[in-house]
Amino acid sequence: MTGKVFGQPIPRLEDQFLLTGTAKFIDDIEIPGMVHAAFLRSDYAHARIKKIDYSAALKRPGVIAVYTAEDFGDYWRPGPLQVPPPTAIKGSQFNARPLVPIAKDKVRFSGEPLAVVIAESRYIAEDAFDDIIVDLEPLPAVVDLEEAWENKPALVHDDLGTNMAALVKQERGNYEEARAKADVVISRKILVNRNAAAAMENRGFVVNWDEREQEMTVWATTQAPIPLRNTIAARLGLFENQVRVITPFIGGGFGPKIMTSQADDVLLPWIAMKLKRPIKWIEDRRENFLATTSERDQVHYAEIALTKDGVILGVKDVFYHNTGAYDPYGMTVPLNTQTHTISNYRVPSFYTEIRMVFTNQMVVTPVRGAGRPEGVFVMERLMDAAARELNMDPAEIRLKNLLEPNELPLRTGIIGQDFVEGVLDSGNYKANLQKLMEMVEYEKFRKEIQPALRAQGKHVGMGIVCFTEGTAVGPYEGARVTIGGNGKVSVATGISTQGQGHFTVFAQIVAEQLGVKAEDVNVVTGDTAHFHWGAGTFASRGAAVAGTAIYNAAVKVREKIFATASKWLEVPPEQIELGDGKVWVKGKPEQFITLGDLAFRANPTRGVIEPGVEPGLEATGYYGPPYGATGAGAVAMIVEIDPETMELKIKRFVIVHDCGTVINPLLLEGQVEGGVSMGIGNAFYEKMVYDENGQLLTASFMDYLMPQATDMPPKIEIGHLTTTSPLNPLGIKGVGEAGAIPTPSAFVQAVEDALFEYQLEIPESNLSPSKIFEYVQKASKKG
Amino acid sequence: MLPEFDLVMPRSLNEALQVLAAGSPEVLPIAGGTNLTVDMRSGRYEPKVVVDIEKLPELKGIRRENGQICVGGGVTIAELLKDGLVAETAPVLKSACALFANPLIRNRATVGGNLVDGSPAADTAPSLLALDAEIELTSQDGKRRLPLDEFFIHVRKTARQPNELVTALRWALPKPGTGSAFYKLGLRKADAISVVSVAVVLEAEKGVCRKARIALGSVAPRPVRAKNAEEFLTGKLLKKEVFEEAAALTAQAVSPISDVRASAEYRRRMSAVLTRRMLEQAAEQTGWKE
Repeated sequence: MTGKVFGQPIPRLEDQFLLTGTAKFIDDIEIPGMVHAAFLRSDYAHARIKKIDYSAALKRPGVIAVYTAEDFGDYWRPGPLQVPPPTAIKGSQFNARPLVPIAKDKVRFSGEPLAVVIAESRYIAEDAFDDIIVDLEPLPAVVDLEEAWENKPALVHDDLGTNMAALVKQERGNYEEARAKADVVISRKILVNRNAAAAMENRGFVVNWDEREQEMTVWATTQAPIPLRNTIAARLGLFENQVRVITPFIGGGFGPKIMTSQADDVLLPWIAMKLKRPIKWIEDRRENFLATTSERDQVHYAEIALTKDGVILGVKDVFYHNTGAYDPYGMTVPLNTQTHTISNYRVPSFYTEIRMVFTNQMVVTPVRGAGRPEGVFVMERLMDAAARELNMDPAEIRLKNLLEPNELPLRTGIIGQDFVEGVLDSGNYKANLQKLMEMVEYEKFRKEIQPALRAQGKHVGMGIVCFTEGTAVGPYEGARVTIGGNGKVSVATGISTQGQGHFTVFAQIVAEQLGVKAEDVNVVTGDTAHFHWGAGTFASRGAAVAGTAIYNAAVKVREKIFATASKWLEVPPEQIELGDGKVWVKGKPEQFITLGDLAFRANPTRGVIEPGVEPGLEATGYYGPPYGATGAGAVAMIVEIDPETMELKIKRFVIVHDCGTVINPLLLEGQVEGGVSMGIGNAFYEKMVYDENGQLLTASFMDYLMPQATDMPPKIEIGHLTTTSPLNPLGIKGVGEAGAIPTPSAFVQAVEDALFEYQLEIPESNLSPSKIFEYVQKASKKG
Repeated sequence: MLPEFDLVMPRSLNEALQVLAAGSPEVLPIAGGTNLTVDMRSGRYEPKVVVDIEKLPELKGIRRENGQICVGGGVTIAELLKDGLVAETAPVLKSACALFANPLIRNRATVGGNLVDGSPAADTAPSLLALDAEIELTSQDGKRRLPLDEFFIHVRKTARQPNELVTALRWALPKPGTGSAFYKLGLRKADAISVVSVAVVLEAEKGVCRKARIALGSVAPRPVRAKNAEEFLTGKLLKKEVFEEAAALTAQAVSPISDVRASAEYRRRMSAVLTRRMLEQAAEQTGWKE
């Protein structure tokens, strides 16, 4: 019998390809006659384009064509917006400035494409940059968020008359009333610094227009193959089924690869049709830093009102959000910030205001966490400040204010990125924190371990924080499950994969339903020829939304198996058993039929198709949640700091996490650990720094440091709780972003605790030894 | 991407020097290429000809020579790291090599290349300065030797002429009663550019400092020695207060900048902190107990 597969820690099925180097990535694709594209990019962040003269480049041997915005004629068009404006929020203002594929008249960020060169090789294409005369008139760069809001020192979009990209106010309860009743009101300015996604593989795009077939094939490193296909088809006036988008293996997504309507996917298909040559573009690392979207960068003015016993009465948060030069992805990131600020705490009154600004920096779209780490950081900083002010223990004040399970589901009154009111569907937030405190031996640490270490002169501190992760949002995903004549199962879904382990967990879902081994389930993701409905891989929704669609399809196939087998075995369905790739009559294992044979008989045989029955052991399933499922957790970390150099070691990292039903504990740990490493990077290593001219100073891995294995804590200790989501039949919540969300909050608290004698209050999310030194210097001067 | 260039692969040092003499400054030598390929890709250097000196036997080898250690300019960091003679006679250099980039880079990068790059953050520079190393530069016109301290001029400026190659580095065998220590403060455990690095070599007799060398990286336009602190230490009894004074003097000898990695103030302070710590460690090795 096939054993239980669902919920088991089976190793990843895709690793056989990845680890043996046989997996196909986008740069492996070679097509006869293929030419190469390279983008000439602006060095200036803000400039008027006076002239671009590429006539000399055309004379260079091997150069096939050069295009600037003008050369695309009417085809040049901004956008469309990938995420619509937040019209569901009353009174919201949103100024749509979707991405332009290639700069026209004006450059708005450093790295924006000015010209695209097509040549026989990438080398020739890049050499041809030297032949192009670019005359740009530099303009003052808009960099500072608060100045930008005041329309200083310039306008990013002149026609708009303002740098305001959006203004969104949401409130539940009445903050001002709550404030009036409060014993204590604490206000803070809090910054969340900017980070890159920095996937191991950069972006890439290959397009082949087959003139005779009148079909276009696109290979792309996209997280959204179906939206990408739809926009390409619409732009070129083709039917959707004339464009096939294929995602090969992808080396990491983390958010920015969701973007469509960029230079590559807008311009290259058009050029491929003109030239009738396949085109390849592979992004290099510098391009990735400059011109692939990144995230965070908010300035918050936040306030918390409490009773003297530490009960929260209200929170107010007015924040500036940097959307960069355009706002193609709507307001997903700042709306996530709004929904995740108060998250798992009981906050009767909450006022939150987004001031989204255009700047002369790269566009901001979700990066793992996507606005959630910002909200959590602000709230946890406020909780820390409150604990200090009220002389309370940081865990105690949190326990006091966490929602109880019986208060859920809770309508939050705040509309989120999916344009519906946020609902905390399920969870046991206090239990998360309590389990964490046990795991980290909280009382013992505070009462024995820490005092003893301090007595030895050691600077060891703990940070302890809580978080939620809104996951599994709509609109929907779909899948088709088919049993083949070979007795194995094929699954096709519209989302694409960037390393999460979809091939394994989806196989587990299906194997469990259809009584086959997980390795006999072949999963195809992100190929529009295999499945052509869906949205994409984002918001920790793969397992919960596509996984549920797959489950729904598998359940239908299971029903079909029983119905068809009932005919062939001539017994009622209740007397049939399924397992080991076959069905048999209960108690009579010799009366069996394999799923492969059954699949054959379910297809061409006369008499199978009756009204209401479709051919084959195949079914399609969909799932669209009414709102997202919310995961939650708590993190404690212990750090030791060298009080002179401010070098730091993470001694322990403990995370308790609840993402509902677990499909595969091994992969879940991988997801959590990956998120934590990104969170540690965000807190202490990785920082994107733009200077006053809008130049990115950290545009290589020399200056943008990712934490490495040797920088990680010796072990990431993970505890699980399971509160199943009532929103889907499997009870799943997402987990992909979990680790990245709380880590910076825990990190700064731990640093403050380690250096307790300075009474530091660190108002920003990204630290370094030099930064901590600065804060200590300031505190020493004060004290 | 790399610009176009001709690659010349000479069989001997003489051939290499000929090519350099004929074409410099548009000819650049390449050994490990860990700096040069990056710089060519970014457009900082656009040589017409690149001369591959990686395999030249004349640039290889670590040996004892007339009471000195002699290291070929083309010796890789990995070779230095695993060499017994280096470990025994110049542990301060070995420590620097252990923190140099990562194993892949160490297998390619050469000590000569690390120095001619002229980076104030060159990982081997402080240790070699503290060892009072001498650098040998060779051109078709002959060889010349100069103290490494005279080799560094400014950011990406050294005394190397375009027609010269670094053929060797030499330093004296340590005297009895020598202690040394090295520390690199980076923002990551491996693969990080130093924020501050300090190398210290002390020679002492019965606890009295006979000679001190303190050299620092990433705190000035070139790797620097804290000569004021070195002079101060000479003749002093090695003890805590003396180290603190020397550390304070070191902080005066540096001229750091602020950048994305750290502030100038932090670098200056760390110059003192790390110098004090390295002096303490080095003093302990001299066999003297306060």
